[in-house]
Amino acid sequence: MLIGGRDQHLIGDHPWGAGLRKVPNRDAQTGKRRCMDGIARGIEPAYIQPTVCREDTAMDRSTLSITRRRAVQGVAAAVALPGLARAQAQPVRIGYAIARTGPWSAGAQVSQEPNYLMWMEQQNAAGGLNVKGSKRPIEFVASDDRSEIETCVRTYEKLMGSDKVDLVLPPWGSNANFAVAPLANRFQYPFLAPTALSRQLIELKLPYFFLLLQQPAPMTTALVEMLKTNGAKSVALIYVDDLFGLENYAAMKVALKGSGIALVEEKSYPLGVRDLAPVLRSMKDKNPDAFVGFTYPADTILASRQAKEIGFNPRFFYASVGTAFQLYRNVMTPAGAEGVLGMGSWNVKTSPGAKAYFDAHVKKFGKEPDRWASGACWAGLEILTAAVARHGIDRKAIRDYVAGQEHSTILGKIRFAGSENVGTPGSVGQWQNGEFEVVWPQAIATAKLNPNKPAWK
Amino acid sequence: MSPGAWVELVASGLITGGVYALVALGLNLQYGLMRILNIAHGEFLMLGAFATWLGHTRFGWSPLALAPLVFVALIGVGLVVHRLAFRPLAKTSANVDVFEARGLMVAFGLMFLVQNVASLAWGGELRGYDYLTEPVAFGGARFAANRLVLLGVALAVGIAFIVVLRTTMLGKGVRALMQSPVGAQLVGIDTRRLHPLMFGVGLGLSGLAGSLLSMTYTISPSMGEPYTITALIVITLGGFGSMTGSLVAGLGLGVIEALCMHFTSPSLKSLLSYAILIGVLLWKPNGLFQR
Repeated sequence: MLIGGRDQHLIGDHPWGAGLRKVPNRDAQTGKRRCMDGIARGIEPAYIQPTVCREDTAMDRSTLSITRRRAVQGVAAAVALPGLARAQAQPVRIGYAIARTGPWSAGAQVSQEPNYLMWMEQQNAAGGLNVKGSKRPIEFVASDDRSEIETCVRTYEKLMGSDKVDLVLPPWGSNANFAVAPLANRFQYPFLAPTALSRQLIELKLPYFFLLLQQPAPMTTALVEMLKTNGAKSVALIYVDDLFGLENYAAMKVALKGSGIALVEEKSYPLGVRDLAPVLRSMKDKNPDAFVGFTYPADTILASRQAKEIGFNPRFFYASVGTAFQLYRNVMTPAGAEGVLGMGSWNVKTSPGAKAYFDAHVKKFGKEPDRWASGACWAGLEILTAAVARHGIDRKAIRDYVAGQEHSTILGKIRFAGSENVGTPGSVGQWQNGEFEVVWPQAIATAKLNPNKPAWK
Repeated sequence: MSPGAWVELVASGLITGGVYALVALGLNLQYGLMRILNIAHGEFLMLGAFATWLGHTRFGWSPLALAPLVFVALIGVGLVVHRLAFRPLAKTSANVDVFEARGLMVAFGLMFLVQNVASLAWGGELRGYDYLTEPVAFGGARFAANRLVLLGVALAVGIAFIVVLRTTMLGKGVRALMQSPVGAQLVGIDTRRLHPLMFGVGLGLSGLAGSLLSMTYTISPSMGEPYTITALIVITLGGFGSMTGSLVAGLGLGVIEALCMHFTSPSLKSLLSYAILIGVLLWKPNGLFQR
């Protein structure tokens, strides 16, 4: 009942801030109580969304001395404003740590956290998350992991161990997920990771851990099949020397075996590299049919710009994370990006759901979601939403539901074998006329592959 | 390897090294003159980069025209930062060693402050724009026009800065302060004006480097830290207080890194940089150009 009581703090979250942020529930100027049921009412900036308004229970001493008139007012308010009464439902507390600062934030703030925020907003706008038939508002307990594995692990340990949040959402990237996944498994929190590529993670056989992205083996197999089918005979390869790069490199070598495609050059580089021209120059001298980079966003753009600079323009130019970002097209220009291949698995033509998601994302953030991991992230949230609707906050039941069902998502059907999503095939994307199209395999293609990249523009 | 490929390789190293030198010159000025080890130096490079990106993408201004404006604006920022953060510190510190230790702490605080303000304003995403990316070919080598501009400006500013320090009264004052702070004050050099100005010029050089970098690289609020670390290596190599040392060490490190990356692997770049640093320090503990 909205009948006063001691001050509560609403926990909102700031997408770029350094940590948790408490928003007082009284307006600084008017002193009036703020009570929002999670639907933004224009009082706070859009990114600060107090999601719940918890009031004191009837057990509170102050409620024992209420006047009759206030009690009547309270009852009348509850009857007249069912929305406010609904807001008192116990919130679903969902915790996560994600990179808002540091080198991981370039990917995390494109592919992951915006989707979390949009999901929360959409669910709360619809009255709350459907928890086995009852609507409950979502309350995020979120913080910046500063692109540090230690901070990430400590935060999840606190969220699951002492805060005991209802659910958790995963951090960004293979490294962070590798560090946190065993922890989530120990605390038995279902973990639907949208941005982790690692064979090793699958081999850990963690029953509560699920990877939504296609893994290195299917991705590199699809890439090699595409290259082979289109007559490529040689490939030069660079890879970032972390878990993501090393695993993709290993999978690529396996995929190339017996394909008839020669690996003429292979070089690793460290995260944060500032010059790849010397490496690309030596690759250019070997004149390969294809260039493949297992790269992160900044390196993807650096490699593309420097390839253009030195005139290295193989028939197939493939880079990884970041190729499917809107940033890539902005920085390279649509003409400059034309024909560039990369990791991508969906666009608006993939499904009506994908189009609805794309449009909502553009409307909310004024920017496009990327055509690879963003889709996987949203698909994971769709699966989680369905699981909670069916089984409530019973984490074991959610885990069993995720593991045992085939799920309809914006990416199509997803099902898991162990931790791996085996429903979505490995795929290759390509920039064509300003859109990142899925060009391989044919079953999920949204456009025909252009097997001869035009010159850089 | 063809002569053109060699030219490309060495020039590529000089371009990277030019940025190292520009950042290191500013940092060296601050440390050499005032004993302020400004760990937040790279954050002002980042501010310069974001200011240029914002001016170009939002208002359509030319990054080349913005670069000098950013330089001047960052000098202004430097004057304010010095006034608010370092001047009170100098007043309350018992001696220069205490000031140096406290200054380091303040600089750490500045680093977090500036980086988080940038994150708050622009988010953690990468940003970038397309400007002068068309390749220019000469002598069998090809370069993006923006990288040549970067090299040209970095070299010109670095050399001009050294010439000013060597030939003008202002430069003499600065050099005198570096050699003997007490002696310089005894002959009437006004540290109350010179210190803030040179701190500002240091940040201005950092901002200019950031402005130039935004033409060639993607930018983010966390982009500055690695440049601070590299600048520390460069000024240690060149010698604390030696401007010529910073310029030569910056360019040299860039070229050696490029050659190493070409003939071995980019993953070994850091290993090589630190190996060079250790080797030079064993050979000349005060740096290559320190007398």
